[in-house]
Amino acid sequence: MKKFIANVKRYKSYMIYSAKATLKGEVAGSRLNWLWWILDPFLFMLVYTFMALVVFGKGEPYFPVFVFIGLNMYDFFNRTVTRSVRAIKRNKGVISKVYLPKYVLVLTTMLVNGFKMLVAFALVVLMIPIYRVPLTWHVIELIPVFITLLLFTFGCSCIVMNIGVFFSDLANVITVLLRLVFYMSGIFYNILNRVPAPYDNVLLTVNPMALLIQSARNCVLYQTNPYYGLLGAWFAISVVLCIVGVRMIQKYENSYVKVI
Amino acid sequence: MTGKNVIEVKDLRIRYKTIKAESIKKSLFSLRKSKLEEFEAVKGISFSIEKGEVVGLIGKNGSGKSTTLRSIAGIFSPDEGTIDIGDNTISLLSIGVGFNKELTGKDNIFLSGLLLGFTEQQIKDKYKEIVKFSELGNFINAPVRTYSSGMYSKLAFSISVIMETDIILIDEVLSVGDIKFKRKSLKKIKELISDSSRTVMIVSHSIETVRKLCTRVIWLHEGQLRMDGPTQEVLEAYEEFMTELEPEKKKTKKEKREEKLLQYLDE
Repeated sequence: MKKFIANVKRYKSYMIYSAKATLKGEVAGSRLNWLWWILDPFLFMLVYTFMALVVFGKGEPYFPVFVFIGLNMYDFFNRTVTRSVRAIKRNKGVISKVYLPKYVLVLTTMLVNGFKMLVAFALVVLMIPIYRVPLTWHVIELIPVFITLLLFTFGCSCIVMNIGVFFSDLANVITVLLRLVFYMSGIFYNILNRVPAPYDNVLLTVNPMALLIQSARNCVLYQTNPYYGLLGAWFAISVVLCIVGVRMIQKYENSYVKVI
Repeated sequence: MTGKNVIEVKDLRIRYKTIKAESIKKSLFSLRKSKLEEFEAVKGISFSIEKGEVVGLIGKNGSGKSTTLRSIAGIFSPDEGTIDIGDNTISLLSIGVGFNKELTGKDNIFLSGLLLGFTEQQIKDKYKEIVKFSELGNFINAPVRTYSSGMYSKLAFSISVIMETDIILIDEVLSVGDIKFKRKSLKKIKELISDSSRTVMIVSHSIETVRKLCTRVIWLHEGQLRMDGPTQEVLEAYEEFMTELEPEKKKTKKEKREEKLLQYLDE
């Protein structure tokens, strides 16, 4: 654990520079440039709004904001985990030339996707007055929700990255799993209204993404608390996942180069 | 760490387990026979290198030279034994370079520098010199994926050489880029070597290169340390051994080219 903190400090400037460079690189060739960071989630929000309102005819109050919260959080998780599976192979060049603690790669990816999520949430902030969402102090309770999201994402990504080095088809498995999580997290529908009991509670209990998204909506849209009990449990699980992930990486990272 | 030593290797052992990245299906079916084939590339070698030494690492193919170099660079840790390089910064130069291809040359210079343990300010100070040495000109602001292989290697070489880490490990890359650049880089290496605060390890198959550049030679044979001593002594024994092994072995084109360059430098 000490080693982890020391390394994070040591590689801090590398992570920040690398994240910045990646962000710049992603939009460098495109015409609209950084506008894509806003346009991308916005257009997807339109797609899901169309799906829910026109195709299924079942909306929710403040629907665009509702979708946006879910989509942004899921995208962050999804992108980070997906990139982490192949992170070692993608960075083979760097890894076989110089030592770096491999979780630095996960943290860098989280910085990149975290920045995108922030930009997308700026849109949410803009939309709140437009849709006249009555905000209350419950918004502050987003903090534990997001801390749990960050820890859960980091833990999962580390584990997946480590296993992905040795089993190349994990990438395919993860793609399917993540799609399943997408439909089970209530991104464009409300789990509590649409999923019959008792399955709605089951989903909220076993699917941390559903729990986190629903908790965030509680804070922003429904003026109430996150599900603190479940949140606490998943916070603990996430911490364990992080520890397991970092330990796994520390144990196996020196054989990565021999395998790829 | 004792005295002036900058690298201390003690009883180094490195094994390659043939754990190939395989499909889940395969590993599910082969759970029972989880017999890992082990191959020991480096079998217990020890040596220490003092500050300012230029050490050549020779041996035939598969004798563990590159593996040793990479483990000194910290890319993989020893299975047994220890490697101590103290607080020294270290860089490894080898064929094929560690760049992020989507990013520009400029970004890659900064990232490489940060990974080598320098601060952003230190890199900024050297940035112009690196670009100038690499001869990349305006390409420095283009993504690395648009580079030719020559430009690629030139940039990598320039970073390692100009950033001047305390320890420089060179793995068979003394022939990078066109003839002009090669001369320049050999000259630069000679310059670095004459600087007594710099420690250099060179892996090369060219005996002439080693003879010209190194002050000491370590000869590895099948993962074991065969001989360690002054350049002339070890090279003589090595040459004798190699001619016995393969009497009419001709020099490869690459070796000839490298030797020509060295002659040029002497003039």
